[in-house]
Amino acid sequence: MAKVSVLNVAVLENPSPFHSPFRFEISFECNEALADDLEWKIIYVGSAESEEFDQILDSVLVGPVPAGRHMFIFQADAPNPSLIPETDAVGVTVVLITCTYHGQEFIRVGYYVNNEYPNPELRENPPLKPDFSQLQRNILASNPRVTRFHINWDNMDRLEAIENQDPTLGCGLPFSCAPIKGLGLPGCIPGLLPENSMDCI
Amino acid sequence: MKLLKPTWVNHNGKPIFSVDIHPDGTKFATGGQGQDSGKVVIWNMSPVLQEDDEKDENIPKMLCQMDNHLACVNCVRWSNSGMYLASGGDDKLIMVWKRATYIGPSTVFGSSGKLANVEQWRCVSILRSHSGDVMDVAWSPHDAWLASCSVDNTVVIWNAVKFPEILATLRGHSGLVKGLTWDPVGKYIASQADDRSLKVWRTLDWQLETSITKPFDECGGTTHVLRLSWSPDGHYLVSAHAMNNSGPTAQIIEREGWKTNMDFVGHRKAVTVVKFNPKIFKKKQKNGSSAKPSCPYCCCAVGSKDRSLSVWLTCLKRPLVVIHELFDKSIMDISWTLNGLGILVCSMDGSVAFLDFSQDELGDPLSEEEKSRIHQSTYGKSLAIMTEAQLSTAVIENPEMLKYQRRQQQQQLDQKSASSRETSSAASVAGVVNGESLEDIRKNLLKKQVETRTADGRRRITPLCIAQLDTGDFSTAFFNSIPLSGSLAGTMLSSHSNPQLLPLDSSTPNSFGASKPSTEPVATTGARPAGDTVSKDSVNATSTPAASSPSVLTTPSKIEPMKAFDSRFTERSKATPGAPALTSVTPTAMERLKEQNLVKELRPRDLLESSSDSDEKVPVTKPSSLSKRKLELEVETVEKKKKGRPRKDSRLMPVSLSVQSPAALTAEKDAVCLSVPAPALKLPMPGPQRAFTLQVSSDPSMYIEVENEVTAVGGVKLSRLKCNREGKEWETVLTSRILTAAGSCDVVCVACEKRMLSVFSACGRRLLPPILLPSPISTLHCTGSYVMALTAAATLSVWDVHRQVVVVKEESLHSILAGSDMTVSQILLTQHGIPVMNLSDGKAYCFNPSLSTCSGRQAARLFSVPHVVQQETTLAYLENQVAAALTLQSSHEYRHWLLLYARYLVNEGFEYRLREICKDLLGPVHYSTGSQWESTVVGLRKRELLKELLPVIGQNLRFQRLFTECQEQLDILRDK
Repeated sequence: MAKVSVLNVAVLENPSPFHSPFRFEISFECNEALADDLEWKIIYVGSAESEEFDQILDSVLVGPVPAGRHMFIFQADAPNPSLIPETDAVGVTVVLITCTYHGQEFIRVGYYVNNEYPNPELRENPPLKPDFSQLQRNILASNPRVTRFHINWDNMDRLEAIENQDPTLGCGLPFSCAPIKGLGLPGCIPGLLPENSMDCI
Repeated sequence: MKLLKPTWVNHNGKPIFSVDIHPDGTKFATGGQGQDSGKVVIWNMSPVLQEDDEKDENIPKMLCQMDNHLACVNCVRWSNSGMYLASGGDDKLIMVWKRATYIGPSTVFGSSGKLANVEQWRCVSILRSHSGDVMDVAWSPHDAWLASCSVDNTVVIWNAVKFPEILATLRGHSGLVKGLTWDPVGKYIASQADDRSLKVWRTLDWQLETSITKPFDECGGTTHVLRLSWSPDGHYLVSAHAMNNSGPTAQIIEREGWKTNMDFVGHRKAVTVVKFNPKIFKKKQKNGSSAKPSCPYCCCAVGSKDRSLSVWLTCLKRPLVVIHELFDKSIMDISWTLNGLGILVCSMDGSVAFLDFSQDELGDPLSEEEKSRIHQSTYGKSLAIMTEAQLSTAVIENPEMLKYQRRQQQQQLDQKSASSRETSSAASVAGVVNGESLEDIRKNLLKKQVETRTADGRRRITPLCIAQLDTGDFSTAFFNSIPLSGSLAGTMLSSHSNPQLLPLDSSTPNSFGASKPSTEPVATTGARPAGDTVSKDSVNATSTPAASSPSVLTTPSKIEPMKAFDSRFTERSKATPGAPALTSVTPTAMERLKEQNLVKELRPRDLLESSSDSDEKVPVTKPSSLSKRKLELEVETVEKKKKGRPRKDSRLMPVSLSVQSPAALTAEKDAVCLSVPAPALKLPMPGPQRAFTLQVSSDPSMYIEVENEVTAVGGVKLSRLKCNREGKEWETVLTSRILTAAGSCDVVCVACEKRMLSVFSACGRRLLPPILLPSPISTLHCTGSYVMALTAAATLSVWDVHRQVVVVKEESLHSILAGSDMTVSQILLTQHGIPVMNLSDGKAYCFNPSLSTCSGRQAARLFSVPHVVQQETTLAYLENQVAAALTLQSSHEYRHWLLLYARYLVNEGFEYRLREICKDLLGPVHYSTGSQWESTVVGLRKRELLKELLPVIGQNLRFQRLFTECQEQLDILRDK
């Protein structure tokens, strides 16, 4: 079971000019004190076409994390406009907040971001070269897309122990019910299994 | 019989594998497949039972859903007490859930938002042992054990009072174990497996009692579950899938000799689940018919893969009712309501059906008392549980009692409405931390947020803890093991306004603070706002926030989800760019640990001069012995200190001690000043420091400053003691270095290196001639006009300065400090000059000066033993508490424990003891000179106490005569 669950992500100062920093207030709950820090990242997707244009706006360590509910504000500078393809500057893109523990990503919160000119004139006739200073960023805060992944929360030794588990144990699985559940899960190590998306739209 | 299929009970079309009704009948749980995980849902029962409630939109249908299981949930079971819910699933885990009472409704972040969790159920234990899917779980009749079975061919017995302790792993099945049932009297547990056997295990030694195979010879392993059941009278065990003449049956196994002569026949496909009605019935007495006593019988529901359900009475040859085609797929689980008149059935097709019977159909249920009488006569054991069902038939004999009952009902109604109001405001209640609302915290979060740089230059944010995990209600606290160290100190001296923030049990992982002096600042207090940060090098981290944009924006253009982005939401990012997180995280944590250790090792003597005045801001400076590099990286943190509650963080350099935490004084051992042979010393001594300050109280503001070896006059080094009380100062000099000081509003006392104890009045007048202690001081303490000294040789003395007498004279604590490394972890002095000690083993003692003996306060523990022993333990514990409160002369505590004790006696039906208490409180109604009766106890009037007890007694109708007696006598006394 995930030791950390994200309770809420509040998008602060939204909408805001393109160049202003991103600011998210993240509250999460931890049900067992974590030995190590969590690593949070904000990734700005420059272009839908390719991951090449992704920008990691910032990454922070968060800790120590005792059991309980916690919150912090994650602030990151605006993306570097020069790294964004001109054709993708205006329009819809995505900003992702991810969290990893021991290098394993266990949650990904995605928001649609709409960059547009608030000025109606500019909107009608957008300049050929995007004018970032005029752009306004609007994060679709009401509709986060949350994906959770199952990861191994225990230390690495445990992980190996699971991997080295006697494979014959897998034989004890009820093959008769596999199709019923239609999950294709039997035999897998849950700690390592990537979970499907939790698409909530 | 009525049949209902509440369509709103579903897992969005996914199969429901298990259903269980809460013992109080107000809710039920379902378990099964979720979107991409296992799912447990807790539902409200009333919309199932009443159509009006179903239509009422204000009545929630779903109370809580938990997606924590990684894979399909095969079984959900409530504990008999209803306090816990256990769930087992394909992820090999068993999760034990408990309701969190302090947190209001919430939604799962990212879910569509409408489905708020009305109740919060929190996973309190995760049980890991099985190496395959967990198929069934079952609580033992007294909730002391939890059994689980799995496709790994084993059954595991968990200690339910001490999760995740495993009591036994039952091996013997050679196939997937798919069902479990406990014998109602707790002597056996039975399991059924795909290996074509049903095994009965003894709970005495967890060994196999018998293995039954014959009825299962023809069975194939095609049923998903094999939920068997034991009849409530204990006579019969009924298996799931068995075969008789190639027809599927449910085999009846008699407890007597495990004979297998009978079976339930008729289902066309394998029986998946059998569930006995918890009630035992007897024939309904019809008017006029002969009152021939009929044999009590049981009722049993059988569900099958053939999608039909049959309900049988053991007194009939044919089923009471058979319902065909109830579902589209196999029946997976059945649960009866506690009153025995309703059943919930769930199916693989993802739906649930509710059947409602009338008493005419099933018969008259026996009361719990009759049921336990049957158990007692058959097995010599009684469950001795009083229930309301039994009481409802009692006749109220007294109008006073009736009035009282009415009043109580009214109160309950009021409470209900109040609690419903409360739930609506629960969120806001939960959102208040140390008097600061969540909103305030949020406003200042960015400013307050502690941000540092790690060794490799990365930003590191210390999250603000906004609430500790709570799993609990405190009414049940005394059933859990409570080392009294925390709670005793809490109840005696400090009044915490936020009970949920008070760590009750220092051994549980989620309560930090009190017992751990060197945890990280935020961790120690949990909910304290993080200190302000002045960041040296992380300039960009606190870069000026952009002014919020003017909202000239017209409505944002509609954003269409774009296919291209979809994968980005769900795919894991590839490699972590830059340094892999793992390598960068671990060393920092290691360093942190090291740093803590280092700080711990530092001698207080190395400390800089104190700069703390009465106390708002204490600068934290890094000890110079830390590595240079760290020094540069570490930011200087200025922390706001709370009045009167200094943080027990050893990094706060100017040692600021407080009266409430004498433990800090004893923290360091020091060999330098030993003047007495070492072996006799048991307790740690404070080392000499150059200077220290001690805040005695914040209101009125009073603090003591000590400066050792200020000047030397004629070869004698002088130490200065300064005391400041609301701006008025006095000072004096002593010829020896001062080791420790203590003060109250009346007196100030200091102990010097030369074993000298000096006592001064609040104005600086020496009150007593210097007292020479038998050995060096360990802890010094003052309360009111009492001064207590605990020496390193474990002798304890208490003086009453006001009356100039010794209260406790050099009493040795060796008797209670038996054992090699036991020490006194905390020592306090009550207002009445009675010393209270907490030992390192969690026990607490108080010293009774008049009896000159120590009396222990026993830490209660719940044993994994039958109810009777548990009862005795609880009673003994409560009695101890009452006695201890008497010894402590704490009227407040005495009243509290007496009421609690009485309530327990009332609930458990201990009439004699209750009567004795009442008698003592009431005293003689007619005055006689020979009477030894005291009308007061610890300053409380006994008869007033009795008046308080009466409503408690009135709660159990069984004691109505006692109630009436006392009431009448009190009335007589009043009229006099």
